[in-house]
Formats: sequence, C-alpha cells, structure tokens
Amino acid sequence: MEQTKKSSAERLYKAFIYVALITLAVTIIIPVAWVFMASVKQNSEFYGNPWALPAGVYWQNFADAWGKARMGEYMMNSVLVTVLALAILLVVALPAAYVLSRFSFKGRKFLNAAFMGGLFINVNYIVVPIFLMLVDGDKFFSSLIGRGILLNNIFVLAVVYASTALPFTIYLLSGYFATLAHDYEEAAYIDGAGYGTTMLKIIFPMAQPSIITVILFNFLSFWNEYIIAMTLLSDPRGGKTLPVGLMQLTQAQQSAAQYGQLYAGLVLVMLPTLILYVCVQKKLTQGMTLGGLKG
Amino acid sequence: MKKRSGRGVFLFLCAAPAVLLFTIFMIIPTINVFRMSLFKRSAYSTTEDFVGLENFVRLMKDANFIRSMQNTILLIVVVTIITFAFALVFAAILTREKIKGQNFFRVIFYIPNILSVVVISAIFSAIYDTNNGTLNSLLSLFSGKTVAVLWKGESMVMTSLIIAMVWQAIGYYMVMYMASMASIPQSLYESASLDGAGRITQFFQITLPLIWTNIRTTLTFFIISTINMAFLFVKAMTSGGPNGASEVALSYMYKQAYTNSAYGYGMAIGALVFLFSFGLSALVNVATKREPLEF
Amino acid sequence: MKKVLSIVLAAVLMLSVLSGCSGGKDTNATQGGSSDKKITVAAIETAYGSEVWKKVCEAFTAQTGIEVELITDKNLEDVIGPSMQSGTYPDVIHLATGREKALTETFIKDQAILEITDVLSMTVPGEDKKVSDKIAGGFTETSLTNPYGDGKTYLAPMFYSPCGLFYNAGLFEEKQWSVPTTWDEMWELGEKAKAEGISLFTYPTTGYFDAFFYALMYSVGGPEFFDKATNYEEGIWDTPEAQTCFDIVAKLATYTEPTTPAQANDQDFTKNQQLVLDNKALFMPNGNWIVGEMANAPRADGFKWGMTALPAVTAGGDSYSYTWFEQAWIPAKAANPDEAKQFIAFLYSDTACEIFVTAVNEEGKPNPAVQPVLGIADKLEDDYKLFYAIYDNGAKAAMGNFAAFDSVVGTSNREVWFDPVNSLVAGTMTQQEWVDGIKAASDQMRANLVQ
Repeated sequence: MEQTKKSSAERLYKAFIYVALITLAVTIIIPVAWVFMASVKQNSEFYGNPWALPAGVYWQNFADAWGKARMGEYMMNSVLVTVLALAILLVVALPAAYVLSRFSFKGRKFLNAAFMGGLFINVNYIVVPIFLMLVDGDKFFSSLIGRGILLNNIFVLAVVYASTALPFTIYLLSGYFATLAHDYEEAAYIDGAGYGTTMLKIIFPMAQPSIITVILFNFLSFWNEYIIAMTLLSDPRGGKTLPVGLMQLTQAQQSAAQYGQLYAGLVLVMLPTLILYVCVQKKLTQGMTLGGLKG
Repeated sequence: MKKRSGRGVFLFLCAAPAVLLFTIFMIIPTINVFRMSLFKRSAYSTTEDFVGLENFVRLMKDANFIRSMQNTILLIVVVTIITFAFALVFAAILTREKIKGQNFFRVIFYIPNILSVVVISAIFSAIYDTNNGTLNSLLSLFSGKTVAVLWKGESMVMTSLIIAMVWQAIGYYMVMYMASMASIPQSLYESASLDGAGRITQFFQITLPLIWTNIRTTLTFFIISTINMAFLFVKAMTSGGPNGASEVALSYMYKQAYTNSAYGYGMAIGALVFLFSFGLSALVNVATKREPLEF
Repeated sequence: MKKVLSIVLAAVLMLSVLSGCSGGKDTNATQGGSSDKKITVAAIETAYGSEVWKKVCEAFTAQTGIEVELITDKNLEDVIGPSMQSGTYPDVIHLATGREKALTETFIKDQAILEITDVLSMTVPGEDKKVSDKIAGGFTETSLTNPYGDGKTYLAPMFYSPCGLFYNAGLFEEKQWSVPTTWDEMWELGEKAKAEGISLFTYPTTGYFDAFFYALMYSVGGPEFFDKATNYEEGIWDTPEAQTCFDIVAKLATYTEPTTPAQANDQDFTKNQQLVLDNKALFMPNGNWIVGEMANAPRADGFKWGMTALPAVTAGGDSYSYTWFEQAWIPAKAANPDEAKQFIAFLYSDTACEIFVTAVNEEGKPNPAVQPVLGIADKLEDDYKLFYAIYDNGAKAAMGNFAAFDSVVGTSNREVWFDPVNSLVAGTMTQQEWVDGIKAASDQMRANLVQ
C-alpha cells in the first residue's frame, strides 16, 4: 500500500519535471529555429503570419544580405575585431595573471584589489568617457597629421575590448594559477631556466584548460557586443561590426523594408556562435566551474 | 644576484601592459564619469563649464530619470528573483535526478546566453507582435477567444522585457549552480534520505546551504549584469518607448549624452548608477552573510 | 602552447604593422586629394536611394570641375557624427530635421552652421538664373531655413513633399464615404467606421505627429498663432486656439486603433502602416515616401492610395497640408565653404532637379525626390502627381517648426509634445497631464531660446 502510493507520487513528480524541462527547451529551440526559417522566406511572406512555413527556400536573401546589405563586409570586420581583441587580451592578461598570482612583490595586493574592483565596472557605464577620450585624441592627431586615427579604427576597438575584458580574464586565470604547486617553478629554476622561459614553457601549457575558457567567454562577448562598436566605429568607409549593421537594418525607416535580408543577417551573426558552442559546449560549461563568473 | 635583478624586470614586463591598458581604458574613464558629471558639455562645441552639483539637482527633479531608475530597480529585483528561482530549481533537477537526456537539456538551456541581444530582440519582437505574435496566438488558443495583449504597450512593456531577460539568463546561472551542486558529496543526501528527509527538505537543508557562497557571488554579479543587460535589451527592443515607459538608467544616460548632446548630464546619471550598483552590491553582500558550511 | 603563443604574438605584431602601414597610406591619399578642388558631401539615404546623389555629384563635377566625395548612409548621423566631433567636417550635409538623432537641431542650437543668404543671389552653375529665381515662394522664409528669425538663411530647402492624412481611396469609394473636410465630419466618419469595425486613425510613430500638429496649429489659428506657439510665447498654451488643438488630438486619441502605441517604435512602425493597407484603420499622418516604403506589402482588394489635407476646424475654414522638406547646409567649420556654396546653388539647376525626380527606391520603384523649384510638379506621374496637386485643390501650405533652443537637459520637443500621444491612446495619461507637461517644458524652452 505504502509502496504503491509512493511510486505513483513519484511518477507524477517525474512527469512534472519532464514537462517543465521540455517546456523550457521548446521555448528556446522554437524561436531560434524560427529565425533560420524566416531567413529563407521571400519579402512578401513577412507580412502574413510570421509562423507560417516558408513557401520555398529563398537563398537570395543570403546573397543580398552578404552583398547589398554589406553583411559580408561587416562579418569580416567582426572576425577581425574578435581575433585581434582575443590576441591582445591573451598576450597582456596571461603574464599579468601569472605574476599577480604567483609572485610576491610590493604593490601586488593593491594591483589585485584594483583588478578585482574592475570586475564591478561595466563597460557600458564608461562608454561615453572612452568615446570622448578618443575624440580628444583624434583632435590632437588632426592637428598633427591632418586626420584622426583613433575613431573608426578596428584596432583601437579591439584594444578597448581587450582592456575592458582584463579584470574578468585576470581574475579567472589567477584563480587557476594560484592552485598550482610552486614545485614546478623550483624545478625549472634548478635546471637553469629563466623566469620567462619557465612561464612560457612550464606554466602556460598547464593552464591550457582555463585559457580555453577565457577564449570562449571572451569570444562570445566580443562577437555579440554592439554598444561600443556602434559608438566607436561609425564611418561607412571604416566599416561596422555585424551586430551594429544588423541593428541599423532593423531600425531603418522611410525605406522599403528588407525583412529577408534582415533575418539572413541574423543567421549570419548567430551561426558562428552556435557552431562554436556545439563543438565546445562541454568545455564551456565545464570552464564555468574554474572561476566561472562573467559580468 | 643576477636572478634578483632579472626578477624585477620580468615582473615589470609582465604586469605593466595590463596595468597600462587597465588604467587608460577603465580607471581614467571611470574617474571621468564622476568629473564630467560636474560640468556642462555639449557635443560639437568644445567648451566645458563647471556647474558643480547642478546636474544632480536637476536629475532629482527629472521625472523621466526617476522613472528610468524605478524601471531599473524593478528589473533588478524581478529578473533576479525569477531567474534565480528557475536556475536553482532546474540545476537541482538536472544534478539530483536521473533524467533522460540530461546533457541535451543542459546544452539547450545555455543557448540563449550565447546569442547576441540584437538577435534575441528580433526574436521577441516577432513573439510579442499583437496580431500575429506567438504569444497572443497561444493565449487565444488556450482561452478560446481572440486575445490581443499589447506586449509592447505601455502597461506590458516592462513585463515583456522581464520575460526576454529571464529567458536569456536562466541557462547561464543554471550551469553555474549545477557546477557547484555537483561537488556536494552524494553521501550527504543518502544519509538525509535515511533520516526520512524528502526532496524539498533536502534542497533547503543541504543543497542551498552548501552552495551559499556561490549564490552570494552570483547575486552581486546579477545586479551589475542586469543593469547592463537591461540597457542592451531596451536599446535593441523598445528604444525606451512607448512614451518613455521602458526607459532604464543606462539607456537614459546614453540618450542624454548622444541624442540630447548633454554629456555632463548624461555622466551625472552614469555617476549615480555607479554609486547605486556599488551600494546595492554591498548591501546584498552584507544581507546574505552566513557562516560558510563545509562538507 | 609556446608555439600557439608565438604565433599569436607574431600575428598581433604583423597586424599592428599592417594597420600602421595602411593608416599611413590613407593619410597620404587624403593629403594628396585635398587639393583646393575637392569637397565632401554627406547625404542621408532615405526612400529616394543614393543613386540620384551619385549622378548629381557627377553632373556637378562635369559642370564645375570640382571633385566630390560622396557619403550616403541611412544612419548618416552615426556615420559623420563622431568624425565631426573630432574635427573633420563634410562640406555639405543633407539631412532632415525631426530625426531621432537631431543632428541638424544640435548644429542650429550650437550656431555651428554657415550663413548662406548670399547663395540665394548666386547664379546657378551652368545657367543664367539666380538661385532665388528658381526656388518656389515661401521656402526660404521659414523658421526651418532661417532658424534664428533674423531674415538670414542658413539652411537650403530640399526635397519637399506635402504631408497629410493617407488613406485607402478604394475603401472610401466602396463604402461611398466622403473624405471629411471638417473635424466634425471626421468624428461622424469615426462613428460610422467603428460600426464596421474599423478604427478612424493610426500613426507610425509619434514622430509623425510633428507635421500633423504643425498643420493643425495653422488650421486652428493661422500663421500668427503658429509663429507664437512655435516660439513658446508666454501664455500661448492657455489660449482657446491651443485648447482646440489639444482637444482635437485628445479626441483623435480615443479614435485611434488600440494596438498603435505598442507598435509605435522604430522596430514595429510598419505594422501600424499596415493597418491602413488592411482596412483596419482609416487615416494615418505620413509623407509620400509611404508608397515606396510599403510597395511590397500585401493590401486589401481595391486598395488605392489617397491623401488629404487636415480637415478645417469650422465649415469653410482653411485646411492645411504641412510641407515637409529636408535641408542642405554647410557646417561652419567646413574646409571648403566657397565650393560648398556652389554645390548648393547647383542643387537647384534644371539638371539636378531632373536627376532628383528620377529617384527610385531600393526595390527599383519610382520615388521622385522633388526639389522646391517652380514648375517641378508637371514632371511627376501617377500617385505622386495626385499628392503634389494637394495645394492646387484648395489646401494651404504650412511650413516651419519649433524654434531652436539651447539644449535643455532632459527634454526635447518630441518627448514633450508628441510621445505622450502614446499614453493618451493607451489611456494612461489625461489630456490635462499632457498639457501641463507642455506648459512646463515650454517655459524652459522659452528661457533658453537661441538668440
């Protein structure tokens, strides 16, 4: 008697959690799938029921988005900015995290505290002063060489991305470095290796899992970022990043609406992150255990 | 001796680039937020007039600003509570129960977090459409009569934002909690089971206290990230409308700085948001202080 | 790992070298090109497309030998704004007032626009007529072209289009309704339409109310009231004329299609325009670009565009249609003001006007850009001929806008006057609250008027 009662309650409970899980999964899968579906619809289909299946597969949207709406160009910019920013970030953050976590020197406590504090500074709070600082810099360059070089410069955008990602990255890497035993360095020093060689040859290879985590998280945030990109890159000759180009496409007024191109563009911005995610989702979610926080 | 002198140089070379970038692109802009809040500066004229606290005095009387702060606080409270509850429950289910396709659910739930806010906004614009949107179609289907909720109308727009933001955030926090829940030893649950404790008791008596440290850290980050995400969502989804009903603190700051070209005023808003988020984080930190439990 | 790192390092180095190189090249190019005969023209790309601008610039170069570097973009403010803030200004900017980013308004406030009164007496390049002989009457006497009310012209009028209420003429024929000529008839029609399940009114976004409200002020109180109101004269919002304007808008709000405010944003505004195409709402304030903008949208059977001026307040009273036009202007800090002035003069040449009229939108459908010169309407076809004939059919032209004021923090005209219409329709704000907001803001704006 007792037994059957319990198991029927148990079954009800199990059913309930499956319903909950599946509901949430469906609310995520369907909208994302819908974007893919919408991206192959003809322009006229967008005025009807948005959930109707496409009448046919209209690949022209992608060609138009890539060429006419300049998404191809924006995508190249996005790739360039993301790769550059990641490269700068790693080159700067790795050695810094290493010395901040494994050497004791004067001012270390202060620096660690400063970078920790940086975790609380969200980049969108300070986008206006960064912009104005670059404006002032460009004024200076204008008077010097006749034109500004800081705004509308993809390299500068990448530096800003890398710099503002420093606190999180250093926090995450330091957390990992701190767990390593000091024996590794001692052994290397005894073998006659210098500080630099030890860091590059012994320590960094061991930190590979957390380096991958850093790359993954920052890839996502750089690739999807649009406020800073919108503010710092605005000249059509310098180019925009993909999210900015898309956002402006969604809000263009007084011109014939180009829905097909818009959704094709949305797919272009989504696809790389989805592919990367599917490939590395294990590493990504595991990585979160390492130090796992993101602002 | 040689090693000692090399050490200084090495430390400097490692730490200096990070410190330099961090100072230029984070510390100085942050200081500038506070400095500029005391000035009046327009976009295309280069003069800055010192106005003391005038910007702040005006802010206190600016009904639009007060509403944007109210909206921000509403979002912080509601989005945090809902996301937190969902993330915890789903994390507990996925770690504690034997679920078929556990990995599948984990992978799917995380997807919204890797999408660009621009993509999410486009998706939700289609969902919230009054006449053709999924949400209204679904509601009509279940209620049997035509439902025409104005999801982006004045009374519902904040609810709509909350839904989109929760949708985006659940997976991320769930994976974080899953990571720390997985490290709780199974034996604790087994002995509790023997003592006759049910699932709910176990959740409150074992799971919650043991991941409390993790929860505290995430709460702090919740605050900062919600202030920031609210801005991204508003900018891409509603532009603050209708009639300012969905304006949040950072979007109002951006609007004052760029659309109304009142940089000083915008920075006064930035300064207040800074102080507010620091204050709230500190408050939450103190309020949630418990003796850490060990297992 | 070391390999990876060194590759990354090398890549960074290479890229920074590369970007350094390309930077250097660019500098040379600009310096080489910025000989005395090259100007930069920045033009907003709207439904008229950018092709006509390319052709006009080529024609200008052929005529005068002055090279033109053309920048066109749908979000022109984002494109040229930052570089202007850092000191690089285009020589000629073509934009419209009343846009969300309010770039032109900012320049007017900051008094950073070059005076171009002398352009009016210049000879059009390639012709023997003076500019002022070509521009149609009234266009260079409005507060849009002479923002400081001192008789000096700062902005050149471009691309005009009559604004009014757009509707489905086919539906009116089918139902045998006549287009209202007074507001009383309008309300009657509203009741009739309601019986058929059709709302009387909708609007794309609240931004479209400016043209509507200007015409309304003209039709209620004439030019005199309009001038006082747009200069925020003390007590003007307590006059019976102002009260009539507020009453009409508030009443119209009650007749507005209820989903309108939820869609009155930059992302969803086409859904409101679709309401008219689908016979769910009768009228909307708009401009003639709507034809091209919605060219691909499905529509009710027998749909035919119609446009009317605002109804008169009393039977036999004046009805007005607002003349919306864009402006071309020269930033005060432009490097080549003399060539820029020639360019503006050239915009009124027969050559340029004829090129502009051939404009097509992105879909390749004709969408003529009509310069405010005499005799231009004869060159138009179809729907457009009808739209531009509105003034021949008895409607008076309303021109002008709110006077410029030094930036007042936390307010703008649109936020105070028009955004609350969303709340009026939703019923979350009373007419009194709206008017109180206007009065308070008006006082501040008066105190900050640009002298």
